[in-house]
Amino acid sequence: MPIIVNVDEMLHERRMTLTELSEKIGITLANLSILKTGKARAVRFSTLEAICEALQCQPGDLLEFRHTQKKEAI
Amino acid sequence: MTKSYPNTLTLSRRVLRVLTKLNLLMGALILALLIASLIAESWVMRALGARPAPGNSMLFVGMRLIMVIGLCGVPIVHLILARLLTIIETVSVGNPFVVANAVRLRTIAWAMLGLELTHFAVGTVAALVSTTAAPLNIGWGFSLTRWLAVLMLFVLAQVFEQGARMREDLEGTV
Repeated sequence: MPIIVNVDEMLHERRMTLTELSEKIGITLANLSILKTGKARAVRFSTLEAICEALQCQPGDLLEFRHTQKKEAI
Repeated sequence: MTKSYPNTLTLSRRVLRVLTKLNLLMGALILALLIASLIAESWVMRALGARPAPGNSMLFVGMRLIMVIGLCGVPIVHLILARLLTIIETVSVGNPFVVANAVRLRTIAWAMLGLELTHFAVGTVAALVSTTAAPLNIGWGFSLTRWLAVLMLFVLAQVFEQGARMREDLEGTV
């Protein structure tokens, strides 16, 4: 997935654990782990809003696009 | 209302199991009848209500052909019942909205179409061999409802597949 979720970096900067974030925004640890590991297919605006609110950041600080080269068919 | 829901599932499962056994039994009976019609033709045909007469040979051939078509219907019905039973099992497990069930529903739709075609073949054979002197009355009739049911199953399978894919997407949404 070329979309990278930088929750870990933001948590580290804010000296906050994933469990604390989970309690603060009311999203289960399991769902936050899915988001963190890049396994999520979609993110709700409400989730993004809650994380931004809790970490005092912008959506752009959390999400990053990294171009991946697709294998070309020979 | 919600209390009767598991009971309905249990009842459906039992009914389907009984129907599966009855279908196999019916197949065995048709096969026995077909074999018997080859061994003791006049006795079997008389028992089925066809009088042995010089011009009745085509009628006998037609009746045997109908038996063969009936035998072809047995695995088709078995397929429908087995797939339906599997769908019910997924409901009781609590995970019915999966693409596999949409595929099963589509298989049922194709099988129902196959059954309708065998039904049509039976009607055609009966019409071809039946004469005023020796009529073959099997109570065949065209039913728009059954064809609509086939169409509805294909549509439902498509809807089910779409729904299952939407659910898969939703599962990955945080």
